[in-house]
Amino acid sequence: MKKFSICLIAILCSAIFNSSFSLASTSLPKNLHWLTNDQDPVYSSPNASKGGTLRNMLESFPLTLRYVGPDSNGSFRSAILGNHMALVEEHPNTFNLIPSLATHWAYSDDNTTMYFKLNPNAKWSDGQPVKASDYAFTLEFMRSKDIVAPWYNTYYKDQIKEVIIYDEHTISVSTNQPKPRDELHSHISISPTPKHFYGDLSGFVRKFNWKIAPNTGAYQISNIKKGKSITFSRKKNWWAKDLKYFKNRFNVDRVKYSVIRDLNIGWEYFLKGNLDFFSITLPLYWHQKATGPEFDNGYIHKLWFYTDAPMPSVGLWLNQDKTIFKDINVRLGLAHAFNIEKVNQQVLRGDYTRKHSIHSGFGKYTNLNIKAREYDLNKANNYFNKAGWKQRGDDGIRIKDGQRLSIAVTYGHEAHTPRLVVLKEEYKKAGVELVLRKVDSAASFKSVLEKKHDVWWGGLIGGRKPQYWGQFHSENAHKLQTNNFTNTDDAKIDSMIDAYRSAMNIEERIKLAHALQQRIHDLGAWIPRLDTPYSRIAYWRWVKFPDIPGTRIGGPSVSAFDLAQGGLFWIDTKQKKTTLTARKKGKTFTPVTRIDETYRVNTQ
Amino acid sequence: MRFQLNPLTLKKIQRFKSIRRGYYSFIIFTVIVLLSCFAEMLVNSRALLVHYEGSWYFPTYGAVIPGKVFGFDYEYETDYRDLEKRFSNDSENFIIMPLIPYNAYENDLKAAKFPPFPPSIEDKHYLGTDTTGRDVAARLIYGFRTAIFFSLILLVVSYLVGVSIGAAMGYFGGLFDLLFQRIIEIWSNIPFLYVIMIVSSIMIPNFLTLIAIILLFGWIQLTWYMRTITYKEKAREYVMAAKALGASHSRVIFQHILPNTVSIIITFIPFSLTSGIIALTSLDFLGFGLPAPTPSWGELLSQGSNNLESLWIVSSVVVSMTVILVMVAFIGEAVREAFDPKKHTTYE
Repeated sequence: MKKFSICLIAILCSAIFNSSFSLASTSLPKNLHWLTNDQDPVYSSPNASKGGTLRNMLESFPLTLRYVGPDSNGSFRSAILGNHMALVEEHPNTFNLIPSLATHWAYSDDNTTMYFKLNPNAKWSDGQPVKASDYAFTLEFMRSKDIVAPWYNTYYKDQIKEVIIYDEHTISVSTNQPKPRDELHSHISISPTPKHFYGDLSGFVRKFNWKIAPNTGAYQISNIKKGKSITFSRKKNWWAKDLKYFKNRFNVDRVKYSVIRDLNIGWEYFLKGNLDFFSITLPLYWHQKATGPEFDNGYIHKLWFYTDAPMPSVGLWLNQDKTIFKDINVRLGLAHAFNIEKVNQQVLRGDYTRKHSIHSGFGKYTNLNIKAREYDLNKANNYFNKAGWKQRGDDGIRIKDGQRLSIAVTYGHEAHTPRLVVLKEEYKKAGVELVLRKVDSAASFKSVLEKKHDVWWGGLIGGRKPQYWGQFHSENAHKLQTNNFTNTDDAKIDSMIDAYRSAMNIEERIKLAHALQQRIHDLGAWIPRLDTPYSRIAYWRWVKFPDIPGTRIGGPSVSAFDLAQGGLFWIDTKQKKTTLTARKKGKTFTPVTRIDETYRVNTQ
Repeated sequence: MRFQLNPLTLKKIQRFKSIRRGYYSFIIFTVIVLLSCFAEMLVNSRALLVHYEGSWYFPTYGAVIPGKVFGFDYEYETDYRDLEKRFSNDSENFIIMPLIPYNAYENDLKAAKFPPFPPSIEDKHYLGTDTTGRDVAARLIYGFRTAIFFSLILLVVSYLVGVSIGAAMGYFGGLFDLLFQRIIEIWSNIPFLYVIMIVSSIMIPNFLTLIAIILLFGWIQLTWYMRTITYKEKAREYVMAAKALGASHSRVIFQHILPNTVSIIITFIPFSLTSGIIALTSLDFLGFGLPAPTPSWGELLSQGSNNLESLWIVSSVVVSMTVILVMVAFIGEAVREAFDPKKHTTYE
């Protein structure tokens, strides 16, 4: 009896402490200001027609169909998750929220909680309705040790506090730390998890490795040929097909991913007409490979689409813990001797644009007044002389107290060697020796995390809003395994970062972000490289796009699934037939190369 | 005292000479290697000789001469090709440039055109440029020099190790032999290429570390031959005689046995030479060899195979590689003929 009661108490306790969700007896706070959005422009095309199959390539067959747990972080994951809807999505052009599984949403005053009214029509692909308890189950699922996904375990514990169910169609989700309103939803807009499907999670990893989990999106996996291909089919009666922002999207009947293990072979498949599109963003593809009869005869079209999306912070990260870079004059000298424009114009065909601010492509958060230091050997010379590197040795490299101005650049991609060998020659003119340290990309990042580098040639891509703490706060300087690659230790930056992190007012945050970018520019420990604010694709002429063939952040939409940006294209099956017969008979069409500058940001 | 070659050796040389293609290959090859030692005089962005306002300059070897010395407004190294253009209408000053006026590192880029540039006699890019505008001929020649000296050094050290260990195994036999056989068997099962890939993904290999890594696995091959032949020679009377006279082990091995096994060693040399070149080239091709921007054949080959449209890159390196390897093979063939034991050994 005693044993039993202890057990009972234990269960009760664990229920109290573990349950972060409950069928709350608490009622909804009063004065909630419910919001929805049917004002923003639609970005699909009314001309879109349903039908056809989109053929995609996969470089390797996925190791699992789970989207969490071991081996799930492959490239195929985005195809699976692209059919799992979240509570709300972000409009890819205006960045306002748009309804998805929730029809309405509201914010709490303390910026920690969002309330959602769920769409009562939402259904899982197995026909079951999406219940409020499925959202609560997401927390249980993601926090479970059984899914063997420590990162998600921690994230869903540290970032998300609780899910409260008010009634069948009203829930709230809250975070542990308050977040500004333009960021809050990106933490809170979770996806439901089908409780009726998973049930008991023990043995999850093996049990669900090849199970097709019910989803809420427009497609579901319909055919798997292990090692060869995976096919998705469109749900004919998808519950959301007539919602404003989903109408005329997700048009093709089937999306087939076939395994083609090599990109060059994939390209040949594409030229033969066995794949419908191909990404040709790289200069080599756009300028050299994407030429020839298929293009000249107008069977394959080319599209260059400018985007306005957050760019990775690519640049030279100067490690200020190295004696050489403690002097700001050396850093500024290096910036002025950095002839990246020559690389861009004479090697990379001028395809790229110079990066100016560390956070380019972040919309209002980007400080457009910052201009990267221009290439000017005289200025560089003055800075180096000021720093005491006046003399030049026999080999033309500057020397100071017997030390040569020799700097090792750590990088991890063979594709960047051509850029660096040109820069090396250019830096010689300024009396600086650049030593190229190419190691494999994991090893290079490791040495950078261990702060062994002089200069890191690399960049980070993060969320949709600029973050500074990890990369520039003194708390992360002079330490191993942090992202403060420049070892920036600056009181001014610290106070601004602290203010930025605690600020909830969007205007204030934007102001602080601008000031931070300016300060980072002034310190000169990060030298900007080049941005690629565009995507380029080649596609067979039967693939059709809306008038604006993509979205501000997503680029030309050839992704078939993503709920915010994907599924805008359609396949003209009649034209496919005519094109194929025309090609057989040698009939030609006008070649098409389209450049879309709708979302191009002028940084000049 | 006059230096007199052993009549047997003379006979071998005679035989070697009589095999024409091997002999000529040897001469051509030697000349190329010697020339490559002075590549700076033939292929260089620095002038051989500048006569400027009454002074003479020899920039080839030595310190960088800044542009200011010749009246340019910059402090970095003089652009001698530019200087040549300036002097073209000048009767007093003159400049002599090398045959190919480019070094293996500089990028000769042009406005509104994108490398690789095709071969052009006018630009003196006789074999065109690579994808970053560097002269292919210059990279080919400097790359050859690196490869051949790499291979030669590797050959010497790996033979030193291989021959000593192999001879010792054969000479001492017994437990020592047994132990080393097993060590070698285990050692030779380590996949050599993977080791190099792992090592060079962690650290940046340089000329000497690469030699050291390849040496780690390269000494094995010769030990088996040396072991066998030493076993055979050891049983001969002259060895017994030397031992009876009280010669030490090392004296017996290196003074008595080794000269009698030299034919084996020599016939392997040309093939080891080619395998050294191939090893370096394939490592460079895979990106695990010498760090960029060192000129190398493997790097050219990988550029060429990625840019098949620019045929001059891949064809220059493939042709030169074939020619060099064929020549070395001819030499090897002739050496083997010359040392053929059937021709000059008498068995009792």
